[in-house]
Amino acid sequence: MGKLHISPNPHIHQKGSTTQNIMLDVVIAMLPATIAGIVIFGINALWTVLVCVASAVLSEFLFNLCVHKRQTISDLSAVVTGLLLALNLSTAVPLWQCALGSVFAIVVVKCLFGGLGKNIVNPAITARVFMLLTFGAVAAVSLPTVVELTATATPLASLNQGVEVAAAEAPSIMDLFLGLHGGAIGETCALALLIGFAYLVIRRVIKWYVPAAFVGTTFVCYLVYGGFDVVFALQHILAGGLLLGAIFMATDYVTTPTTNKGRVVFCIGAGLLTFAIRQFASYPEGVSIAILTMNLLTPYINDFTKKKTLGGIK
Amino acid sequence: MKKDISSLHVPHNKHTAACVPVRIATPAEVILPMNMHSGRQDSEPIVSVGDHVKVGQLIAREEGRFSSPVHATISGTVVEIAPMATPDGKGTLAIRIESDGKMEKADTVTPPVITDCQSFLQAVRDSGLVGLGGAAFPVWAKLNEATNPDYKVDTVLINAAECEPYITSDHRMMLAHPDLLADGIEYLRKYMSEALGNATFKICIEKNKADAIELLKKTFENKDYVVIHELKTIYPQGAKQVMLYNATGRVAIAGRRFPSFGAMIINVSSISKMAEYLNTGMPLVERIVTVDGPAVDKPQNLIAPIGTRISELLKITGLKSEPGKVVIGGPMNGNAICSVDDPIVKVSNAVLVFDEKSAMLPEASACINCGRCIEKCPVGISVAEVDRVMNTKNEDAKARRLIATGVRQCVDCGCCSYVCPANRPLLQINWDAKSFLKKYAAAQKEKEGGNQ
Repeated sequence: MGKLHISPNPHIHQKGSTTQNIMLDVVIAMLPATIAGIVIFGINALWTVLVCVASAVLSEFLFNLCVHKRQTISDLSAVVTGLLLALNLSTAVPLWQCALGSVFAIVVVKCLFGGLGKNIVNPAITARVFMLLTFGAVAAVSLPTVVELTATATPLASLNQGVEVAAAEAPSIMDLFLGLHGGAIGETCALALLIGFAYLVIRRVIKWYVPAAFVGTTFVCYLVYGGFDVVFALQHILAGGLLLGAIFMATDYVTTPTTNKGRVVFCIGAGLLTFAIRQFASYPEGVSIAILTMNLLTPYINDFTKKKTLGGIK
Repeated sequence: MKKDISSLHVPHNKHTAACVPVRIATPAEVILPMNMHSGRQDSEPIVSVGDHVKVGQLIAREEGRFSSPVHATISGTVVEIAPMATPDGKGTLAIRIESDGKMEKADTVTPPVITDCQSFLQAVRDSGLVGLGGAAFPVWAKLNEATNPDYKVDTVLINAAECEPYITSDHRMMLAHPDLLADGIEYLRKYMSEALGNATFKICIEKNKADAIELLKKTFENKDYVVIHELKTIYPQGAKQVMLYNATGRVAIAGRRFPSFGAMIINVSSISKMAEYLNTGMPLVERIVTVDGPAVDKPQNLIAPIGTRISELLKITGLKSEPGKVVIGGPMNGNAICSVDDPIVKVSNAVLVFDEKSAMLPEASACINCGRCIEKCPVGISVAEVDRVMNTKNEDAKARRLIATGVRQCVDCGCCSYVCPANRPLLQINWDAKSFLKKYAAAQKEKEGGNQ
């Protein structure tokens, strides 16, 4: 009889509970939005996605090689970052800028801070903001190739021109829901995003009330601001990157609080900030900066939302 | 509003739940280690090589606090008293007895004469009984503690949860000998009447043992001081702090002795075996062992003398594949052993054999802050935070932050490690944290003592 293995208890592990499986679930959840983006914006969306994902995986691989660290690309976190970044960009962004954004997300935001689990801010969002500041063209939105659109600006931009103008020019709620208007690749089709949301909840990757807190807070803000006009509030929820941000970026484990209570606090804060930036600042889109800001506050949110231990100190 | 501590559903794998325990043929030899108790000092052999011993004869006396005497479990000749390797590296002496095939009872095996609480506790001490649920804490010491007038014990929790996967030995013990359990409760009420005379005896049992629950309800239907408390079938119902909270609503604060919460907790097999000793005078010489696991061909419950080599048990059950890991105890709390030639000890309620594939778990990777460890911890410890804080250099800050995570309340269930997607050794990290806090507290006390 051969030698026996000795390892400490527990000797069993929850089936399927691995980092790789969680990342895979997130990728699968993003697929409906990716497909919707390709359908609405054309084949260029596919190139953007492929370039972002490939650059992300390659840069992590090369970084680990250069610093003699164990290869980590099999945990699929680079794929998640690349795909998420792609969904945040429009087809108008040149592919070389997309690649550079991916490299920035992986190397600067993640690897240089210590790799998986050690980054302070969300890599995809930070790369998006970096690209916005560096290249500017990121702000340009792509027009859908499926539907003819008379308005050239995104729904958010047109909505910002004022409540009366918005009523005339803004797409209908159904258009907003199906995403048949300009915007980033993954942010427009609410239907696809909600399918992804349902998948993540069923697979127990996220709790439904976390993104709901984000969207709900912003909805309530708009409701109050727009004089309790539900249509007005709904338009503002469906327009822009709110759903994408709430479902996929405000739920990122690494950069958001550890407990569910903390995550809800995070999302309420992000919801308020999104509303504030959209309405009172010069950017039409507030989600990225809102999430980025809350990322920085995460350690403090963790501190005051700690779980009460049974029998521990009060 | 009191919320039940609920935690984890682990796959039950109670394949042997319907297996009536079968007594094995007398093994050719037994190996009795001197460390079958929770105290740090080993027992001291009182026999020498060449001595002839009979079943139930005292062969090692207890040494030091929380040690226990050891009795011969078969009749035969002592052939060797030699060091034995243990997985923790400390090693211990072991007495090897070769069987003469007769299983003769020693003359000293007679029902003990008990007149009062003192003689009762002495008898339990002489029986060598230790906590059979796995804790190996000498039973007489536990009972002795309950007699302390400072602790007003009003509830005796009888731990029949058996929440770990695979193990069914307690379950089968209850089904086979509800009379012993009843006797045990009566003995406690009679001879510890001052401490436990008015106590409620709550038999805490998981709902998945429906047949045992029914039998117990019938056995105790006329006794109003015995309550059958049914527990949800989740892990870790058997952890004493969890059981205390779920059965009485009291919170076990770390650092305090258990009876100070007004309750005493004892494993159902321990109390049954205690009754058996008081009835017959036969000390702890055999027990029910569940042999199961992915590599075992015919899982079953076996009654074996303590000291039987595991390879003997595996000959009876057969193996489906090469053993990769052998665990004594349950898969969540059991310990892996060095070789199948190791013996079963007093607390071996199960022997689990894992095949090569399931023997080793994947390597640990980086924490992704998912928070599942915190969600699944039955007492709500911020486990991910403990992991982070253990790297703090400043000792005072480290101690302060660790205490804030609540890690001192850790019940050692292993739920955190079980759910961690990154396969981090969170249970061991918690042990590290607790040990650090103990040392830190001792150092602080010394400093304060020096300053006086």
